[in-house]
Amino acid sequence: MKFSRRKVIGIGAAGALGALGELAGIGIPLRVEAAGKNSPPSPHLPANEKGSQPLVLTVLGKATYGQTPEAIEAFNGLGSTQVAARHSFIEAQLHPQQISDAVCEHKITQLGLVSLNKDLAKLWADYFVEPNRLKDEMKDAPPKPGAPPVKMKDFNQMKIQPAMETEAATWIRAVYSQRQVHEILTEFWHDHFNIFAYDGNQAPVFAHFDREVVRKHALGNFREFLEAVAKSPAMLFYLDNFVNQSSNPNENYARELFELHTLGADNYLGTEDRSKVPGFAQKNPLGYVDGDVYEAARCLTGWRVDTGKNTGETGSFAYVDQFHDRFQKIVLGRQFPELQPPLKDGELVLDLLAEHPGTAHTICKKLCRRFVADQPSEVLIRSAAQIFIDKRKAPDQLLQVMRFILSSAEFSSGSAEQKLRRPFESAVALLRATGCEFQPSEKFLNIFNRAGQRRFGWRTPDGYPDTKEKWGNTTAWLEKWRLANQLMGGKIEGVKVQLTAISDHLSVKSPHALAEFWGNRMLGMPLSPNALKEVTDLLAQGRDPMRALPPVQIENRLGPAVALIAMSPQFQWRG
Amino acid sequence: MILVQIFLRGGCDTLSLVAPIDGPDRKHYEDARPSLKIPISGSNKALPITSTFGFHPAAKALQTLFIEKRLAVIQATGLMRPTRSHFDAQMMIETGATENRGQLDGWLGRYLTLSQAAPKAIHNSHSIEAVAIGAQLPNSLLACNKALVVNSLSGFDIAGGRFQEDQRAALRRMYGENSNPLLNQWINQSATETLNAIDEIESANPGAYSPTGGAQYPGGEIGNRLKSLAQLLKMEIGLEAIAIDMGGWDTHKYQGNGGEGQFARMIGELSGAVEAFLKDLDSSGKDSIGSRVRVVVLTEFGRRVKENGNGGTDHGHGSFMLALGQGVNGGKIYGTWPGLSSEQLFERADLKVTTDYRQILSELALGDRLMSEAPKLFPGFVPQKATGLV
Repeated sequence: MKFSRRKVIGIGAAGALGALGELAGIGIPLRVEAAGKNSPPSPHLPANEKGSQPLVLTVLGKATYGQTPEAIEAFNGLGSTQVAARHSFIEAQLHPQQISDAVCEHKITQLGLVSLNKDLAKLWADYFVEPNRLKDEMKDAPPKPGAPPVKMKDFNQMKIQPAMETEAATWIRAVYSQRQVHEILTEFWHDHFNIFAYDGNQAPVFAHFDREVVRKHALGNFREFLEAVAKSPAMLFYLDNFVNQSSNPNENYARELFELHTLGADNYLGTEDRSKVPGFAQKNPLGYVDGDVYEAARCLTGWRVDTGKNTGETGSFAYVDQFHDRFQKIVLGRQFPELQPPLKDGELVLDLLAEHPGTAHTICKKLCRRFVADQPSEVLIRSAAQIFIDKRKAPDQLLQVMRFILSSAEFSSGSAEQKLRRPFESAVALLRATGCEFQPSEKFLNIFNRAGQRRFGWRTPDGYPDTKEKWGNTTAWLEKWRLANQLMGGKIEGVKVQLTAISDHLSVKSPHALAEFWGNRMLGMPLSPNALKEVTDLLAQGRDPMRALPPVQIENRLGPAVALIAMSPQFQWRG
Repeated sequence: MILVQIFLRGGCDTLSLVAPIDGPDRKHYEDARPSLKIPISGSNKALPITSTFGFHPAAKALQTLFIEKRLAVIQATGLMRPTRSHFDAQMMIETGATENRGQLDGWLGRYLTLSQAAPKAIHNSHSIEAVAIGAQLPNSLLACNKALVVNSLSGFDIAGGRFQEDQRAALRRMYGENSNPLLNQWINQSATETLNAIDEIESANPGAYSPTGGAQYPGGEIGNRLKSLAQLLKMEIGLEAIAIDMGGWDTHKYQGNGGEGQFARMIGELSGAVEAFLKDLDSSGKDSIGSRVRVVVLTEFGRRVKENGNGGTDHGHGSFMLALGQGVNGGKIYGTWPGLSSEQLFERADLKVTTDYRQILSELALGDRLMSEAPKLFPGFVPQKATGLV
């Protein structure tokens, strides 16, 4: 679909967009001049005052993994005003498949991540069946004299290869992909439908979950997304529904389906009797209770994974009717008759959950929290939720919700300090802004993972938290700061730092000039005066800050100076 | 006193840790748990602590501590407002909220405030008073601005090489109070706390750590965390409130019985780690830290009495707490046992809650100030007479 400006405005006029004061002027004083590759975007931008930074920085800050000179230039080239450029940017980003991403794809190809594009059956065969076969073979065979002993750990390493390769590709995409909004959304939905990727039977099939479930549906239809998750082997394994059967119900998945994937804890009314929930008699209950979870678990019995030798051992979704509870049920006030056709019970549960207004509110609240502010306004959430509800049948329902949120006045006019960068965002923003040549080496990941946000590494199904209080702790700060120094130190395998080359064009390479240049480069705007002074002083080491530094001192001091910018207050926020 | 909370995340299965071994409930238990029951004979039999209850066989160290009267068990504890949601239950327990939203600070943070208001011999002159060991701040310390999160003491610096001092001084000024008035004060405060922690830990010079007293920590999350905590405590930096998490208790499938399985492995780790921790601290010289530490172990709920068909258990209600260390009257089971017959269960499915978790936390935290201060520790809570636990 081609971008149509009229269409965007049309939504604004018809929906809540207009009511929120959108298009009434956002108070952006000037268009940022297009920036060359090696020059700061503009030395004349206003300093960081609350609420008045250029729109380009807000958009790139909140909807991408961080500005770069190239990203600012591209954004500004999209329209004659900042507002027009934002519209074009959003529209283009919401159609990621139409954006060429050759550089990023090439980087991924270079890494030789063999599991990424394998289909489910192949993933299962190569990373589950095969390691198990080798393990059995080893158990049966007498140890070969002189041969190095094979460890159980090696088989487990084989099994988690698809998870680790997805992790590596995720890093590359975050740093290099042109489809930045899609990447941020992919992270959002991975948190929302969280799976711990690195053990259990979900590890061998995790590449499928990332590719065919999360990435495929991130801008699609929520009901279809929900079903893709429900039928994905990774989720069936992670939340145990693969063993949920009529004789032995297991309610783990059903519970999190209600509490985390759809209605949310806000709509959980506890252990109440179902008939006492307001709206129950009208088949329109306000929220859910344990009774709904139990009955939904019954509806989802027989939803399994084909792991049987007789059925081909395909590792794919399988519905086994004889394990399904065929009797009548009541979920969210609706009667389900007995003996429904295969899959019908479970699909009806997904229908009811996807269409419940509580789900719309919960999902939109989380999206607004991710993209706008830790505490988004209720009016924004409700307006987004109304679109979620109105467009529930649309194949691009989530795209339309995102278009609304990203076009809202609240998204663009809020202060620059609403979203603290989580550790992953911090690291990626640093790699992007400093123009490092980057590959996610094992050494790099080991250092990064200390900060507590390994991708796909959150064990419980609620996903990484998304408010600043949860990430403003000592360890998160310390590890962010450590990482900045370690990366800029240039000694981490896979991270090629080229600071001196990037600022080599400066005519006078004085501490002051270098600090000013790198401040602009890292932030897209000038450093605050006191931070500028600190960075300058670190470079000058007591000498005249206006005099050119000899090359050897630039080599020694530029890394710590740029790291200090990455540690400074301004760099901590997402635009 | 140093209060250590070990939170078992995911809902630890009470009936596998403290199982009925005799009396009418043994029969109910065996009926409900045909494959998961802890046996009462054979090599994996329960370890008796009273005539009717026994610990899981992997909890040998806990049994020893119980016999030595250092460890107390409180049965059928939990939330008076039932919920089977992990996240609701944890949030309510940790903040003390009586609805699932409301109270927005953690109980351990309030404990710290109360403890500092109380008269005591030596006043804390250090900056590190509360710490969570791990990567995240648990809600027990939510909104406590004195709480640090420490993952590991090795590498507790900013790795700045020879410019590290310059950088730290620069950061202090950049995040100083009036240096960036346009910026959020929150960020100044939280960054400055981190700089203070770096200074404090640097001056205590942690270095490589060797446990004392022959303590051998098991590998794994809880062993590593308690070891880091012992190291921190021995630095005598003034810690008073500590939160440690141990995850992995949400055993919906294959949890195992007495002999093997996930539950046995984890309870073995917990038991071994607690034993090593106490040994390590007891041997810390005069005025041993061990004599000042009080530990409480809790979880958000117990699990369904009847096992599910996948060798696991689903979310339940009543659970347990363990208390040990300074002043704890151990060797005894506290709390009213509600029984396991169908009509004695909550919703005919789960162990009932007969003791409000707030009663136990208040007794452990407040001692003889229970009646006067429990309502401050847990707003809206009216304590019962002390159980004699401390």
